[in-house]
Amino acid sequence: MNLKKLGLIVTAVAAVLVLVTTYLAIYYAPLPATSVKEAGDIMPSVEGSSVTVSGFVTGLNITDLRMKDSPAVIEFSLADFVDYQRYEAAVAAGNTSSQWWTVRPIDVKILSGGFRSTSFGPDITNDVHNTTNISLSAAVTAGSIGENSQALGYYLYTPETNSVVISSSQGGFSAMTAPIAQKIFYFHMPSAWASYMGFIVTLVASVLYLRTRNVKYDWIAMSSAELGVLFATIAITTGPVWAKQEWGVYWRWDDTKLVTTFIMWLVYIGYLSLRAAMSEPTTRARVSAVYGIVGFVTMPMSLLSSRIAPLLNSSHPEVIASSTGSLSAQAGMTVGVAVVAFTFLFVAMLIKRFEIAENEEELEELKRVIGGEE
Amino acid sequence: MMAFVEIAAKDLRIELRSKEMLSAMFLFALLMVLAFRFAFDQSVNSGSVVVSDLAAAALWICFSFAAIVGMHTSFAKERDRETLEGLLLCPVDRSAIFLGKALANLVLVFAVDLLSILFFALFFSYDFNGNSAPVIGIAFLGTVTLVLVGTLVAAISVNSRAREVLLPILLIPLIAFSVIIPCVQATRNAINGQLAESMGEVQSIIGFAVIFAAVGYLTIDYVLEG
Repeated sequence: MNLKKLGLIVTAVAAVLVLVTTYLAIYYAPLPATSVKEAGDIMPSVEGSSVTVSGFVTGLNITDLRMKDSPAVIEFSLADFVDYQRYEAAVAAGNTSSQWWTVRPIDVKILSGGFRSTSFGPDITNDVHNTTNISLSAAVTAGSIGENSQALGYYLYTPETNSVVISSSQGGFSAMTAPIAQKIFYFHMPSAWASYMGFIVTLVASVLYLRTRNVKYDWIAMSSAELGVLFATIAITTGPVWAKQEWGVYWRWDDTKLVTTFIMWLVYIGYLSLRAAMSEPTTRARVSAVYGIVGFVTMPMSLLSSRIAPLLNSSHPEVIASSTGSLSAQAGMTVGVAVVAFTFLFVAMLIKRFEIAENEEELEELKRVIGGEE
Repeated sequence: MMAFVEIAAKDLRIELRSKEMLSAMFLFALLMVLAFRFAFDQSVNSGSVVVSDLAAAALWICFSFAAIVGMHTSFAKERDRETLEGLLLCPVDRSAIFLGKALANLVLVFAVDLLSILFFALFFSYDFNGNSAPVIGIAFLGTVTLVLVGTLVAAISVNSRAREVLLPILLIPLIAFSVIIPCVQATRNAINGQLAESMGEVQSIIGFAVIFAAVGYLTIDYVLEG
């Protein structure tokens, strides 16, 4: 049968592309050195490169080695200004331990002044305090990092205190602090894309069913909704894995993107429960088509929420149509391949699921014939 | 186009005669507020929970669940008493049935809203900082959106076997962002006398009311068919 052949080809292409995506994500795509929102300004590549970030100092620890004829080592974390007020409130309440941050504070190590050499620049050990606003150009260095990290990772290191600017004005930065974890993005975002595609197909098939009453559209709507839920499940489980590394928490309830996506997922689970609770095929098709249309309200809310974020508060990174373009060329290509791969995967699974729906119908038909109802 | 008022009047007349739903919803609201009173007894007394925050959250949980209890029957009853066919045979637009049912639900649910607010004021000895009028206003606005989407989903779920369970499963995700989140925020601001800061929420509630009214108006034909 024609559809079967097409399904086979699409499945093969999807399998190859998913493997290529995996390869590219692991070996080809560079670690994200870019910031989330002000890409290109900082971190062209991770290790060894110099980046400029600004933020406020927290968790300050100065090891004064000057008595031993060495510069002082200043270690601290640089936190995001987005959370500055929350940080101040936490300090006022005397409790910073249970706080979390939009971007987990970046660990910084500075060698400051001292008697040894003028090349270390001016002595800033007296100027840096907790909550000091600074911006600094520092090298991204691999090694054991400060109090915010349990493991080996990256921190910013500058041996030249000339590159540290202490300012009073609040700036803003969003630099990624967990570069390796970002790899999951190459599966997270395409899954989300496939789920959006699934729900759009459900909407279109539902409308077409109501117009034409062709039962095939109902099967497409059902298959596509099931796949949409599957891919949305992948997206909302891979997201927290990354968020724990990057934000320090698995989930943020004040983030519009996360919440709307979660609600969208619930709505389509509702769609599947509704279908499961009805046995009469034409009523099921008709009624679930309407819910498929009503529930679609949640999809654009989820898709667009990081675009209209300034209005609604979201720290979820935006990828497509971002004015600054936050991906490097290699990463962009990897995402491109990943999206194509997941599109093929979606189509392949949709064809397979549609065939199963057809077979189920045939089975019902046979049961009716054997049962002698016709 | 007054057909929908007739349908609403019919539903309300039946309700006033039997008082089936009203008494159930009344008791439901009473017990919900009572449950909140018991659950937050310590926290309210010790001041670890701000009563204005609790009021906004508790009231909207009461409203939503009382509405689910009430709206569930608006089509279920017609189906059980086999009067749905009669209703569908009426020489009126199907959308008039939708609007009529929604209007009847609005009256019932809003009555229960008022009772819940009253119970809350009594049980917590709380006067809403003297801002009960805007609180009631937000309650009305949110209830309009709630019954529009609720009536449609009740019509959808009445076709299924497990309709009592299914209505909340289908409805709560839809009202979570369109009603509960903005209404709780707006109610909290209203209690604190800062309703002006909640214009964004109010607009979003009205916007969703328009969206759900339009979707319901356009699709109810297909739901009620057959």
